[in-house]
Amino acid sequence: MEILYLVKIGEILLKLGNRKEFEARLKADLKRRLEGSVRRIEYFPGRIFVEAEPGKEAFVEAVLARTPGINGFARARRVEKKPEAVFAAAVEAAREAATSGKARFKAESRRSDKSFPLDSYELSRDIGARVLEALPGTKVDLHAPEFTVFTEIRERAYVYADPEKGVRGLPSGSQGRGLLLLSGGIDSPVAGYLMARRGLGLDAVYFHAYPYTSKEAEDKVIALAKVIAGYTGGLTLWTVPFTETQMRIKQRAREDLTTLMMRAAMMELSEKLAFRVGANSLVTGESLGQVASQTAENLRFTNSRVSLPVFRPLVGMDKEDTIELARKIGSFEISILPYEDCCVLFSPKHPLLRAEVERESKAYEELELGPLLEQALKEATKLAVPFGVPVAAPSA
Amino acid sequence: MTYLDWASTSPPDLGLLVEAAELAARSYGNPSSRHGPGQEARAALDAARARLGAVLGCPPGAAGGAPGGAGSGGAVSGGAPGGAGSGGAGRVVFTSGGSEADAIVLLAALRKRLAARSGAVHVVASSIEHSAVYEELRLLEGLGLEASFVDPGPDGLLSPASVAGAMRKETALVAVMAVNNETGAVQPLAAIAKAVQEASKSLGRRTAPHFHSDAVQALGKLPFEPAALGISSAAFSAHKLRGPRGAGALWLGAPLEPLQVGGGQEGGLRPGTESLQGAHAFSRAAESADAALEANLAHARTLEARLLDGLARIPGALALPLGRTAGDGRYSPFILSAAFPGLSGEVLARALADEGIAVSTGAACSANARKKGRRVLEAMGLEEGLGFSAIRVSTGPATAPAEIDRFLETAAALYRRLKT
Repeated sequence: MEILYLVKIGEILLKLGNRKEFEARLKADLKRRLEGSVRRIEYFPGRIFVEAEPGKEAFVEAVLARTPGINGFARARRVEKKPEAVFAAAVEAAREAATSGKARFKAESRRSDKSFPLDSYELSRDIGARVLEALPGTKVDLHAPEFTVFTEIRERAYVYADPEKGVRGLPSGSQGRGLLLLSGGIDSPVAGYLMARRGLGLDAVYFHAYPYTSKEAEDKVIALAKVIAGYTGGLTLWTVPFTETQMRIKQRAREDLTTLMMRAAMMELSEKLAFRVGANSLVTGESLGQVASQTAENLRFTNSRVSLPVFRPLVGMDKEDTIELARKIGSFEISILPYEDCCVLFSPKHPLLRAEVERESKAYEELELGPLLEQALKEATKLAVPFGVPVAAPSA
Repeated sequence: MTYLDWASTSPPDLGLLVEAAELAARSYGNPSSRHGPGQEARAALDAARARLGAVLGCPPGAAGGAPGGAGSGGAVSGGAPGGAGSGGAGRVVFTSGGSEADAIVLLAALRKRLAARSGAVHVVASSIEHSAVYEELRLLEGLGLEASFVDPGPDGLLSPASVAGAMRKETALVAVMAVNNETGAVQPLAAIAKAVQEASKSLGRRTAPHFHSDAVQALGKLPFEPAALGISSAAFSAHKLRGPRGAGALWLGAPLEPLQVGGGQEGGLRPGTESLQGAHAFSRAAESADAALEANLAHARTLEARLLDGLARIPGALALPLGRTAGDGRYSPFILSAAFPGLSGEVLARALADEGIAVSTGAACSANARKKGRRVLEAMGLEEGLGFSAIRVSTGPATAPAEIDRFLETAAALYRRLKT
């Protein structure tokens, strides 16, 4: 039997003006991600059909679950547009879905080919009857079914049950390219994931303060970049040496300003790097009030160092929600590895909470970081993190 | 490489490893077998036991002596009844290492707890024990054992009175290490053992609790004769004294009911076919270390003086425990902790490693641990910042004075550069 996936696309369909461009992006993206693992990809309005190479099912499913622009997907049976063939396939799909003890189901049908002898209501009704007859113990439940048997009558007839969710959103790169400020923590990978599903292509930048931060901390960031690359389709990770800048701030800045000045310097460096790599925005994992540098006043100050839009998708999220997402995308277990930055010695005991842009800008200028930042950018190294997915699908 | 991490492990003596491998290949029989090859291996194993026993001051034939052949099957080991100090010089049980030797004793306390229909089984231990004892005890606490942990003073030393003061009527085990692996503090075991005996009497007990000592950092480095100290058992590891990994021993001067019995090897205390290779290499390494003990100790004392003198010249750097001076018999000269306030010990160790100098932050085994806590230094009441900024320098017989100088120069320069 062919290994066929029916793939649903979502938000793209709402984009009346440039729908074609979005579709083209998704097609190209899928083709590249699935290369070597599929026999055929067919595109129809609102649906994509992917025929996997035998043995590549897990990989294909992991890719489909991570590709932005895909709403959902399911293993599907493709049969002749004849009622008997459709019923037989529906019973088989129901039998598979029911193996895990599920009993309450409903049938849902769509008919775009009006020449098919049954309309969608009749089709669902008859499929329900056939399933009940073939699988004793099953029960129709239209309100809270445990599984649903879907039938689509289009160019051919397709039958599937229990579709998987995709990440939805917009195709990769359709919103240009952003630069993600990636640390080893829990938040920034999630921020990257959230922006990737909005169609933002990503590169990432990591500030490495060796020897204050360890080689293991850098390896951890690379592992996190790999997770994000599964959603973006690959990315470039920039490592910017930050030790000299950090030392200067520690030596010259007032103690309560050290974290704030460090954030400002990171923003400035990121923007310079963004211009260099052609990114149109910065992405951070900041969340309002989470730490002292993330009050509205302090965000205003760090923002004042840059002109690019700064996307903070976690700004209104609760830490628990962020952790849940981190678990879902598989970054959590990496983020909690013990190699955190050794910046403890750099963090002030009582950081300034309410920055004033003018006053703090003056303090920032007095640090004379310019040459240090230029030097750091010169010494920045890049690492290509290719697209890849873990072969088990995301746990959630 | 300037290797100043001998307390983590020592470069093995290749000649001994080869000698042991050849012996094990030649005497390949199972020491529990009655046939020729088995008996040959048994003889070689007994010779290794006698060799290590001689180093520990318990020659073969002493009361308790070497355990008999395998298959005795008894869960209760022999040994001199009435515990240490009753004339028996104890016996040597080969193990897979120091941690296992510790575990045999700790798990015997668990067995006691499991066998007791009611009533508590209590353990007193120092709060600066190696993880092999400390973490295992924390685990056993969750399984029903009660444990009291006793803090040392700011000098890193335990007072006999505080250990005795933590004892209860139902205390079954007291565990105090011989030499602390981070500070080098040599614990006053004889005085503690005496205090434990006295406390037992005043608590109205018939016998004193089992007194175990993890002596991994003592053997082959400082004079150490367990029977003379009045303790009941001691744990040793071969790889700290140029022997191989995977070999250790438990010296036992009192009866013990082990939790693991298996095939009854090692007098029923450590089941599993014996590693002749490990036992032989360990016994020979211990013998060599013992023969060179005085010379090595003198050498370590000169290195210690050089180190302390040099540290005093680095502005801001401090030897730990604060005020430690060269030649102080309360500390092993092989181990020294030093604080570099304002610079994380982890960062300094990393930067030194880049310069080809190996030191560690506390025990190598706990450097991997998730928590960054510096349990030992904090237990001494050291302020957090100092413990956080500490590294451990440890030397061995092959350490050259020039290596100490190189460390001092490099550490001084790095400290100047990286201090925050």
